[in-house]
Amino acid sequence: MIPSLASRHSWFEATARARLAGLLDPGSFAEILPPAESQPSPHLAMLDLPGAFDDGVVVCYGQLEKKPIFAIAQEGQFMGGAVGEIHGAKIVGLLRRAVQEKPAAVLFLIDSGGVRLHEANAGLIAISEIMRAVLDARAAGVPVIALVGGSCGAFGGMGIVAKLCSAIIISEEGRLALSGPEVIETVAGVEEFDAKDRALVWRVTGGKHRYLMGDCAELVEDDIPAFRTGVAKLLAGWQEAAPGLAQLRASQQVLENRLAAYATYRDGLQVWAALGIARPDSVPLLDRDSLVALKEGLPT
Amino acid sequence: MNAPLSRNWDSLRQSRRRRLERAAGLGLGKAIPAERIIDLLEAVIQPGDRVCLEGNNQKQADFLAESLADCDPARINQLQMVQSVLALPSHVDLFERGLANRLDFSFSGPQGARLAKLVQEQRIEIGAIHTYLELFGRYFMDLTPNVALIAAQAADADGNLYLGPNTEDTPAIVEATAFKGGIVIAQVNERLDKLPRVDVPADWVDFTVLAPKPNYIEPLFTRDPAQITEVQVLMAMMAIKGIYAEYGVTRLNHGIGFDTAAIELLLPTYAADLGLKGKICTHWALNPHPTLIPAIESGFVESVHCFGSEVGMDAYISARSDVFFTGADGSMRSNRAFSQTAGLYACDMFIGSTLQMDLAGNSSTATLGRITGFGGAPNMGSDPHGRRHASPAWLKAGREAAGPNAIRGRKLVVQMVETFREHMAPVFVEELDAWKLQKMMGAELPPIMIYGDDVSHIVTEEGIANLLLCRSPEEREQAIRGVAGFTPVGMARDKAMVENLRDRGIIRRAEDLGIDPRQATRDLLAARSVKDLVRWSGGLYAPPSRFRNW
Repeated sequence: MIPSLASRHSWFEATARARLAGLLDPGSFAEILPPAESQPSPHLAMLDLPGAFDDGVVVCYGQLEKKPIFAIAQEGQFMGGAVGEIHGAKIVGLLRRAVQEKPAAVLFLIDSGGVRLHEANAGLIAISEIMRAVLDARAAGVPVIALVGGSCGAFGGMGIVAKLCSAIIISEEGRLALSGPEVIETVAGVEEFDAKDRALVWRVTGGKHRYLMGDCAELVEDDIPAFRTGVAKLLAGWQEAAPGLAQLRASQQVLENRLAAYATYRDGLQVWAALGIARPDSVPLLDRDSLVALKEGLPT
Repeated sequence: MNAPLSRNWDSLRQSRRRRLERAAGLGLGKAIPAERIIDLLEAVIQPGDRVCLEGNNQKQADFLAESLADCDPARINQLQMVQSVLALPSHVDLFERGLANRLDFSFSGPQGARLAKLVQEQRIEIGAIHTYLELFGRYFMDLTPNVALIAAQAADADGNLYLGPNTEDTPAIVEATAFKGGIVIAQVNERLDKLPRVDVPADWVDFTVLAPKPNYIEPLFTRDPAQITEVQVLMAMMAIKGIYAEYGVTRLNHGIGFDTAAIELLLPTYAADLGLKGKICTHWALNPHPTLIPAIESGFVESVHCFGSEVGMDAYISARSDVFFTGADGSMRSNRAFSQTAGLYACDMFIGSTLQMDLAGNSSTATLGRITGFGGAPNMGSDPHGRRHASPAWLKAGREAAGPNAIRGRKLVVQMVETFREHMAPVFVEELDAWKLQKMMGAELPPIMIYGDDVSHIVTEEGIANLLLCRSPEEREQAIRGVAGFTPVGMARDKAMVENLRDRGIIRRAEDLGIDPRQATRDLLAARSVKDLVRWSGGLYAPPSRFRNW
């Protein structure tokens, strides 16, 4: 019997609201712009497309282990979690309020392919405002934690937003990248990237790869309580140095080194071998604990 | 009185000897090179022969099928084919190219449309559409093959055969052919000096040929848990609580659909929470469904006998030899005939799905423009009326049907369907397509898969109808309408009568069973992906690449 397999509450399959319900302390969820006060997208209405009363994102106050928390949860099941004007304004508004009220953290439950193309410039502006607001919150000393494990992953503009956050918690099922697999295939051809090869997509953008590359602070099981535990652990000893020039230069150097080392590789398997993993093909089937142990044993 | 004409009593043996002599005359020994297979077939097969081409819903003697189709129709013709499954294009080629003209079979699956066309053009004469077990029976009565073309995993130099986990139909075919003067030709995937075990002794086998490619095996029983819906979870909860638990069903057979896969995946979670471990689902006649792995690993399952194997399950089966039937060599031996027999006489329940059901409970998967047949389902989904041993589930069902003084029990035959299938086609209908199909085919009877009078329960998302408790055809009809939801058949129900049936427990809704539909989430599934199944198996299950996303 494998109890951890039999009694999970999948983050990947849950709705945004179910994720929040399991993430925050029971009874602490207080939605800002609840259903009666929110409004659907006027742009979608003009295109005769169905809207959603919350425009695909929930913003709320809450608590996590009694610490005051702000949270943003994108609903991947509405238009792929894409960011439109109202959707973006709700996120920006919450981040700006965090600058004033200084909660213990803003939790950003990302589940989005990026800009909502139907809203064009309004969506693009929204994304850039979110980026600025995330950095403002961090500058004000409020950590912004990205939680990535939904079916739409974190792609496009939301991939950039995720990397602007203070830290990322990801599950194996989570994906994080700039251009989505289908976009790459459409633009550069199937020879460049076969978006239907799901295994390849996960080997290149998936949670395990991102964790092995050091892009994410924590790898957790696809389980709502596991995300909660992950956040609590991260916040317990939270310390973030104010960004300075030296630190930015160091980050830039890390990225340049990565590009130099792996730019010609086509597959996560090659990167993992280069990282010093003896049996790269075993990585996709490793459970979370084994993968974390594997990463800890790697040469640095 | 004239002296009786002297009769030749060993014409089959003499015919066999002549055929073998013709092959020997061409310099063909027992081991045939692949490039000479057509020479062999043309030497040993005669016009008008009854030929069994092995193939079922999994294993296929595909190289022999293609080779036979490439033989010269001037030399080989008028063949009467007897075979479990007409599945490969080469099977139909035999008829289109004029090699064969008569067919007795049980299932045609993907070739169903081509077959229907040939029948309409009168280029093929169908003897009958059988069930597997029925066809095996006829191999030993009036459809004994003159030549059997079979598939085996390996042969040794003497011609002993190792069949591997996909033993399936081979023993039945070989026994009927080899002991009635027939010729047995086996295609093998490899030649070995020493076989892991001998499944068919060499003196029942006349020729072996090493096929250029391993025989094709279809992963027919792999259901990806990711595709199970919450409606199916709800139906599975109702079936477990309202049927499995109530009747204490320990010995059973499942169909191959997602509905029953959901039940398998709820055993370690929902059923375990109800305290049913050890009380239900202990003994199975079932192919090695990957979705049964979590229940096996959780200790629900004591024994599984298999009709055939399943791609990717071999290592797992070998490592769980307490549960599966395995040889001393460690690999599984399946046997379709014996597993079908177990399904008929040793199981207390069959549960499966269908595409259409009428108001008498008759059901069929036959659709217009296709001639398919049903394989083993009509046997598994029937209550064999002959005498059998008593068991609690069988007795309870019998007493529900005929009162406390019933002199026999009943096998539970459960149909599990959503009221609408894909493209919003209603499952419940006034008249089955089978009746139109009968007219098109000019058949004696409509192709009904499971007869309504054998069905004991119907499970839909609307509830469970217990047909055993119905006391008149009208009650039966309303019980079916009562769980038919928003289909036209369901909307036409007599509301008062349906409420009366519900008061009597003949129809039970989810709430009557104490099930809150909001609890029916995919989180209840013990595995939600094929990868989860691999993890449950400790890495022993190796799914085919099309089911992998890693």
